[in-house]
Amino acid sequence: MSFIIESSKLTKKFPERVAVRSLSLNVKKGELLGLLGPNGAGKTTTLRMLSGIISPTSGSAQVAGYDIENEVEDLHEVIGLLTETPGFYESLSAWENLEFFANFYADLDVDYQIEKYLKIMGLWNRRDEKVSVFSKGMKQKLALARSLIHEPEILFFDEPTAGLDPRASREIRDLLMKLKKEGRTIFLCTHNLEEAETLADRIALINTDLIALDTTSNLKSQIFKKMVIVDLESVNNHILDTVEKLKFVVNVKQKDNQLQIELIDFDQNTPDLIKALVESDGRIKGVSKAKHSMEDIYLALIKSDEGEEI
Amino acid sequence: MNKNSPHRIKNVILKEWRNTFFNLNSAAVIIFLPLLITLQALFVIYVVIMFASADSLNSTLLQNGLNLLQSSIPSLSSLSTIDQFQVLFYSQFPIYILLIPVLISIMFATFSIIEEKQYGALEPLLATPVRTWELLLGKATAGAVPALIMTWICALVFLIGVNWIGSPDILSYVLSPAWWISLLLFVPLVTILSFMLGVIASSRTKDPKSAQNMGIIIIIPVLLLIGMQVSGFIALNTFNMMIMAIIIAILNLIILKAAVYLFQRESIVVKWK
Ligand SMILES: Nc1ncnc2c1ncn2[C@@H]1O[C@H](COP(=O)(O)OP(=O)(O)O)[C@@H](O)[C@H]1O
Ligand SMILES: [Mg+2]
Repeated sequence: MSFIIESSKLTKKFPERVAVRSLSLNVKKGELLGLLGPNGAGKTTTLRMLSGIISPTSGSAQVAGYDIENEVEDLHEVIGLLTETPGFYESLSAWENLEFFANFYADLDVDYQIEKYLKIMGLWNRRDEKVSVFSKGMKQKLALARSLIHEPEILFFDEPTAGLDPRASREIRDLLMKLKKEGRTIFLCTHNLEEAETLADRIALINTDLIALDTTSNLKSQIFKKMVIVDLESVNNHILDTVEKLKFVVNVKQKDNQLQIELIDFDQNTPDLIKALVESDGRIKGVSKAKHSMEDIYLALIKSDEGEEI
Repeated sequence: MNKNSPHRIKNVILKEWRNTFFNLNSAAVIIFLPLLITLQALFVIYVVIMFASADSLNSTLLQNGLNLLQSSIPSLSSLSTIDQFQVLFYSQFPIYILLIPVLISIMFATFSIIEEKQYGALEPLLATPVRTWELLLGKATAGAVPALIMTWICALVFLIGVNWIGSPDILSYVLSPAWWISLLLFVPLVTILSFMLGVIASSRTKDPKSAQNMGIIIIIPVLLLIGMQVSGFIALNTFNMMIMAIIIAILNLIILKAAVYLFQRESIVVKWK
């Protein structure tokens, strides 16, 4: 499998602070990578470097085979960038704005493309209105239209649903799914966990440094694979004692009649755990693997990252 | 230069014009302010000549200016003293007219760049294949064309005015080589200089007013030059004008370099306030 985005030790230092440190990651063609991290984690800076708008302090990257520092103009023909703020000329109409941006690309049927994307975004009827009268959601859709106007194979989106109402967010997420189905590679910055979980093939968690990079399910099992939840009719000290004394039990938490037990190895230890519970007269109502939300993973990872730094 | 560069530069120029001329305020500034500057000059000169006597003018610093003018145009002494003063006043216009390209260029530069900054349109713009020099050249051309056209129109209006209100035959004295050097050399050079100063000022602030104030500093040397000339410190003869043109050209190169340096993707996104 070839990679369409390859970055190696990408670093950006500003005079006051390091924004991104030694970021190495690869993205496959057609993949949707979610770049997740808290505010100030370096998401926008990463995006700006990969889209050839600012230069890394050190490290390098190739996007669509182009060097992000030395082949910027060629690179810009094949990528689409959705910036953090939509950024339009407010005294010009939606059409005029798109026309201006579209005219910079080589060999583009500008009128056809503008019509196509204004229709997809549901803005066709408003094409002659000044952008200044547009709502935030409409501006964001227009910005998406602009990023797609030249049919780029790689898309860089910086928080596309930030600050939008649920309906507009939903429409934009549906569009992202559609773009993914068309086979485009999407690099999606977000601090919306649900968005990352539902859309992304893989998630890169950053906080200046790259903390984790994997699929959501792998991330989950990596961090929480050892937790089992047992519901009992009742929990007494005898049962608790027995469980705590088991060699493969790392930690036990009691919550009413539920035990949350951390094991060394879920698959190997669970049968032995249940056997022990039954032998100490525990009446088991149910056993389940601990379910964790993206939020749990995120918080756990960010926490461990911050813990290391202290 | 790339085969698509002309197309992209044209795109920038057309957008600037569309954006500026659809805005009533800026269209008014571009068209009416220069005419106002010109008519005001004609009016002031007219009033002075009508109501001041040659004697009263002679007893001022202006006498020095006149003496200097006489030495560069010997035939001037065939005119009456008050007519000689007319020529002296009218001869200030080639310098005074520089205010027009200065104002229009600075307005264009600050208006277009500050607007882009306020709306955040620069970053998406920099993500297209446009080169930054194409952007800068497109913007400068978009500002320079109306600046040059309006300046030349105003020069014409002024000459028509001189012909109308001035003493007969005075036009031939007014139309000295200084006129042509100013209109064909100073005006274009000052247009570019002011534009680049406007760009530099715009990169430092988010507010068009303060950018314009910064840029307008360039007016001071223009006014200084007029003062020095009427009071006889320097004569604006052909030789001195050519020396000045060279100085402005060198200044242009320095300022252009600074503007191009500031107008790069990285600095626009990272350093501009
Ligand atoms: N132009 C800049 N100059 C100085 N520091 C910057 C600049 N841009 C970003 N930073 C800093 O770099 C860090 C990462 O910022 P950013 O990439 O915008 O984060 P995110 O998009 O994840 O919120 C922040 O601490 C921010 O203050
Ligand atoms: Mg950001």
